[in-house]
Amino acid sequence: MDTVRGPEKGKGVTVISAPRRLDAQQAGSFRAELRELADRGVFRIVADLSQTETIDSSGLGALVSRIAIIRENGGDMRLAGCNEFVTGLLNITHLDQVFTCYPTVEEAMKSFGHPPDPD
Amino acid sequence: MPRPRRKGKERFHLLEPEYERPAFEVPETTRETLMDRLVFLYGESKSKECLKEVERLMRVYWAHKSEPMMSWERDFDPAERFTEEDVILITYGDLVHHHTLSPLDTMAYLAKTFLKGTVNTLHILPFFPYSSDRGFAVTDFEQVDPRLGSWEDIEELKGDFRLMFDGVVNHVSSKSRWFSEFRNDHPRYRDFFTVFSTKNALSPEHLAIITRPRPTPVLSEFSTLRGHRWVWTTFSKDQIDLNFKNPEVLLEVLRILLVYVYRGADILRLDAVTYLWSELGTKCVHLAQTHAIIQILRAVLAAVAPVAALITETNVPHAENISYFGNGENEAHMVYNFALPPLVLHAFQTQDATRLTQWAASLSPVSPQATYFNFLDSHDGIGVTPVLDILTPGEINLMALRVLEHGGFISYRREGDGSETPYELNITWFSAVNSEDADEPADIQVKRYLASRSIALVLMGVPGVYLHGLLGSRNDAEAVIHEKETRSINRKVIDADQLMAAMGDESSMTNRISRPYGRMIHKRTLHTAFHPNGPQRVLSLDRRIFALTRTSSDGNEKILAIANVSAETVPLNLDREKTGMDANGFYDLLYKKTYEAPGGSFILTCEPYGVYWLLAQG
Repeated sequence: MDTVRGPEKGKGVTVISAPRRLDAQQAGSFRAELRELADRGVFRIVADLSQTETIDSSGLGALVSRIAIIRENGGDMRLAGCNEFVTGLLNITHLDQVFTCYPTVEEAMKSFGHPPDPD
Repeated sequence: MPRPRRKGKERFHLLEPEYERPAFEVPETTRETLMDRLVFLYGESKSKECLKEVERLMRVYWAHKSEPMMSWERDFDPAERFTEEDVILITYGDLVHHHTLSPLDTMAYLAKTFLKGTVNTLHILPFFPYSSDRGFAVTDFEQVDPRLGSWEDIEELKGDFRLMFDGVVNHVSSKSRWFSEFRNDHPRYRDFFTVFSTKNALSPEHLAIITRPRPTPVLSEFSTLRGHRWVWTTFSKDQIDLNFKNPEVLLEVLRILLVYVYRGADILRLDAVTYLWSELGTKCVHLAQTHAIIQILRAVLAAVAPVAALITETNVPHAENISYFGNGENEAHMVYNFALPPLVLHAFQTQDATRLTQWAASLSPVSPQATYFNFLDSHDGIGVTPVLDILTPGEINLMALRVLEHGGFISYRREGDGSETPYELNITWFSAVNSEDADEPADIQVKRYLASRSIALVLMGVPGVYLHGLLGSRNDAEAVIHEKETRSINRKVIDADQLMAAMGDESSMTNRISRPYGRMIHKRTLHTAFHPNGPQRVLSLDRRIFALTRTSSDGNEKILAIANVSAETVPLNLDREKTGMDANGFYDLLYKKTYEAPGGSFILTCEPYGVYWLLAQG
């Protein structure tokens, strides 16, 4: 299975790493990264949260900031390495119904299965 | 010529009953209706006693009516219960905080200062003592929550506004005296609730078909003097459903609603009325018994308080929602037009008004006595259930994901098979139609917002707006995390001083939204073509355009209302065939511009998110 880590349109899965604190200060750059991926047509994404200790409302906003366009284009964003705090937050905000969180990046990548056919 | 509305002493009841004058004589037709409905609910033998008590309650209420009120009501025309002047503001009693004034005093001050000439009716969400759900778990139906103010404060508001009260009568708080007495095994309250000795009383087959608005269990366990019991809780463990199979419950609810009327309610909002009656083996929603209860309430009001109105809150698919009009004359005077918010949102998200136009074209006048309550936002979220039969599951799902992108959240409900599906979208209306990280000028966001709001103002019915909608508030996502409640996103308490400063600051978004929005509302109140039941014709002009014509009941005033739901400029070649209007010119009520239309033809260049209210001339 092709598990490309770098962004490449229509192929593989792209991993984007979230910072230790996904908060008002850091959310902007994470949001910009996601926006840039979506603008380039990258729609199979794993957000690596294994280093993320805490998320606030800005961080949550960044996580979902491109979810419609990703799904609209047949892709998905899946999460990996959510700690207890993040899992609780996803639960409170019902985002656990939107995102699936996998224990590791590798498992999240595998969950995408085979890459889509080239455009 | 202005039509007479109740404005003075005729609006106020006596707080002490007047028993010196003759008692109210229940009309025979009312008695027959009541008996028929009571027999359907409770059988022949119980109904006779029940009817006697209903008649007594009517007489007690009647004794609270003042002479000026009764005199005025003799000439009351039910078709004029609601007019173009009616615009309803939805707010919590404490949504604005002032450091010295009580919440209701603060509300009164702000309403008198900023709302006159725009809003004429205040819906103060449940202002009674409560234990949870922001007022919808009432502990005492007959007291004003002392944290908000007093009945005197409500009366003060009544001096300047019509009032809408909540009848939160599907359930009571688990901390209420009624439920406490049930747990104490007080004989009167043993049958006030739907009780089982084991949770297994509901089979998996029963559970699978019950319509659930929440993912919480329908039965909740409580200890009582008689041991552990499982009680029916549609919404939460703190909100105990009342058992309307017990006639005493109906009588008590009727008594309370009549107290609300003499305390100042012009409109009674029947909260969560869908769930009033439950029968195992059914979906436990919209049952014929529920409709019969509403018919009883309507018949009582028609007899003793003909000016008062019932509005039903039924967040359900559109076809079921409008079933609460009954035959147009025997149930709700108004129903929440629940399909409107998601369809307007869908139109602006997709920049395509086709679905909205198709649905609006299907709306027809209900009766001279009934109409729609057109709202886009409220204290709750944007329900998606009402459009299950209008939008596809894919369209609803995408709409929900776009709400997430705009910083909102999704609330889910549990289906019979255990799966969870979106129930409502939690987001402020401003954030729903505008993206915070969109690379666009604020002017465009204001125009988009006003265009969306204009649709609820022109549609057949009575418009309503939530306070945060009037102000163009953004999401309060921090509150969601802090309070662990997605609905908190649009319930932020506003500081009164900051609000007044923002209202006076022309550069603030609050000012830039609320001023033109207020002017738009004011324009609506001046034109009889916008009478709630004025004839309406929805036009299909362009997929990016929502358009309709409204006509006053005397046919003298005609308005062509247009909103561009897209970011594109849309040229419209209009003529008599397309508009159905026999006019040689149009005057734009909002921008005071005249359009020549020789032979009814003219070209209108609709700006991105442009709004046009064109009064036919000549």
